[in-house]
Amino acid sequence: MPVDMNLFRGFVEQIRQLPAMAQPTDMPDPDRVRAAKAVFADKLDARLASHLDACVHCGVCAEACHYYVQSGDPRYTPIHKLEPLMRYWRREKGPFAWLQRLITRDISEQDLEDWQPLVYDSCTECGRCSFACPQGVDIASMVGVMRQALAKAGLIPAGLRAVEQEQGSRGTVFGVGGEQLMEAVEALRARGYEVPVDKEQAEVLVLSSTLDILLFTDALESTVKVMNHLGVDWSIHTCAFEGANFGMLSGYEEVQKAASERIIREAIGCGARVVIIPECGHAYPAMRWDAANEHGEPLPFDVMAISEFLGREVMAGRLKLKSGQRRPVTYHDPCKIGRHGGIFDEPRAVLEALGLEVREMPVHHEMNYCCGGGAGLFLIDSAKKNRDLGFDLKREQVEATGASSLVTACGSCRLNFLAGADRVHWDRGIESLVELVGEAIDGPGGAS
Amino acid sequence: MTVAELVDGPLWTVALTVFVAGVAWRLLVLIATGWKRDLSHPRSGSLGGAIRGVVGRFLPSQGMAGRLRLHLVAGYLFHLGLFALLFFAAPHVDFYRDRLFGFDWTPLPHWAFILAAEAAFLGLLMLWLNRVLNPVTRLISESGDHAASVLTFLVMLTGCLALARSHETLRLLHFFVVELFMIYFPFSRLMHSFTFLLSRAAQGAHYGRRGVRV
Repeated sequence: MPVDMNLFRGFVEQIRQLPAMAQPTDMPDPDRVRAAKAVFADKLDARLASHLDACVHCGVCAEACHYYVQSGDPRYTPIHKLEPLMRYWRREKGPFAWLQRLITRDISEQDLEDWQPLVYDSCTECGRCSFACPQGVDIASMVGVMRQALAKAGLIPAGLRAVEQEQGSRGTVFGVGGEQLMEAVEALRARGYEVPVDKEQAEVLVLSSTLDILLFTDALESTVKVMNHLGVDWSIHTCAFEGANFGMLSGYEEVQKAASERIIREAIGCGARVVIIPECGHAYPAMRWDAANEHGEPLPFDVMAISEFLGREVMAGRLKLKSGQRRPVTYHDPCKIGRHGGIFDEPRAVLEALGLEVREMPVHHEMNYCCGGGAGLFLIDSAKKNRDLGFDLKREQVEATGASSLVTACGSCRLNFLAGADRVHWDRGIESLVELVGEAIDGPGGAS
Repeated sequence: MTVAELVDGPLWTVALTVFVAGVAWRLLVLIATGWKRDLSHPRSGSLGGAIRGVVGRFLPSQGMAGRLRLHLVAGYLFHLGLFALLFFAAPHVDFYRDRLFGFDWTPLPHWAFILAAEAAFLGLLMLWLNRVLNPVTRLISESGDHAASVLTFLVMLTGCLALARSHETLRLLHFFVVELFMIYFPFSRLMHSFTFLLSRAAQGAHYGRRGVRV
């Protein structure tokens, strides 16, 4: 079902109010610098150091960045976004630190402030630059470190900070908590769905997200439908349903860890073998790759993105889907699930099973362009120009395929596509993978 | 001690020592920084990813060749040309035999040497002009990057001047510039000749365990 655009516009308007809700993060300048340096010291290991050391300032990374490609602004050169980190490495930890201290300027509070828009407004950590770098420099990972340093220095942009502070203090996102989840669940139950909530034992713990409760409600409904259709022993938990992790997006590690731990605790508590992540790009790496490292030991369950789960079920022949009209679509790999997660074949297998004709964009899979609004950029007011730039590039990519619709598996990507489409009155469909699956299921699980 | 004796003797020893010790120290510090253990379940092996990372990065990523024509052409001309000159120029092969390894190998014929030198010069000039003229590289380049370009150019230029081996002064000049280059090497981004292997392998391993091909 298409998204109600009036609802969407209202949601966007709410986002614009976020900066006013952010609590100030005042601290003396030297403390900001000290806090940032402490993060650098903690995060710089041989992997990141080898990247910093190998860069030859060739500028290839700029040619991979959607913001540079569209604007031609050299400040958007990805490696430039790491300059304070690079300086720290040379002066404080590098092989010739004693010498570098004589010729390399120390990081100042002004540097941290100057780099805030480069690290937050003009980088979605999509990682395309990392894959283009001839030296193999993983720039995206280090932009993550830069965000962590700026977060510790109290320099998260206000809009993003407001949501991070809310999730950190109340555990809710946009005011959505267990109570609002139950309202959504009751609405589904009223339509005939069986929705297991807070089961003491369940093989699969399903997560959702605020976006799916407030805006993309069909995604939640389709997930319920699929789980019931497959006869999965599943549950959704009111105290740990939120997949979105604004600690991760903002770089504030304590909040990231707390959000992940809440889910880990519930999953272990109910004996889950699998945790399913909703269509939320960054929620996947937060649980799949980062959570175990924050937790301090390997997780005793698997973590799967919903697109991965659906694809595996289709590929194993357990999930049969009704083939609809064979129409051309293109698939947008959310960066955090594809390039950072290795999930490429599964969603395409689902689209094939749906009888759709999948047309690849001029660059796709590992080199797919970002939607332009990931990594929390949608919450940053000052990043609007860049979000639009990203969308315009993506629009060209989609139109080159001749597909009538773009399908994706990330709510954040959908947000940016919808905003762009609304701005330019784009005529292409923007669809969700799990919603398409929900519409193509026969038998139990569907609403009566 | 004459200038020739100084350049051929103690200065060479100093340059070689600084080069070997500096490179070793720099690599040692990098590795000793320590590797953070990744506790997430791997989707695939890191070793295969590391190998793919090292080898695969020799080619441009999907869709990038068109945007990187200059980098690719100039980069390959320079690096292949320099590699051929460094290891297969006849005077260098003689030098390695007499001063370092005690054995030799088949050098390049003269015409191939000329070709390699032209490729290296052309590539280096293109890369340096790009560094100076392109707003991106102009923004991110440092004085050290320019110093490395100039030193490399001087090494190649004096090498060509000394090619005939007819003038001892020209040979000494080339040798002296090479010694400066070797002393500067471990302190500069010229170190990428070694660290590219670490960086590519680290990236390949990181994404390899996630099941992503870099």
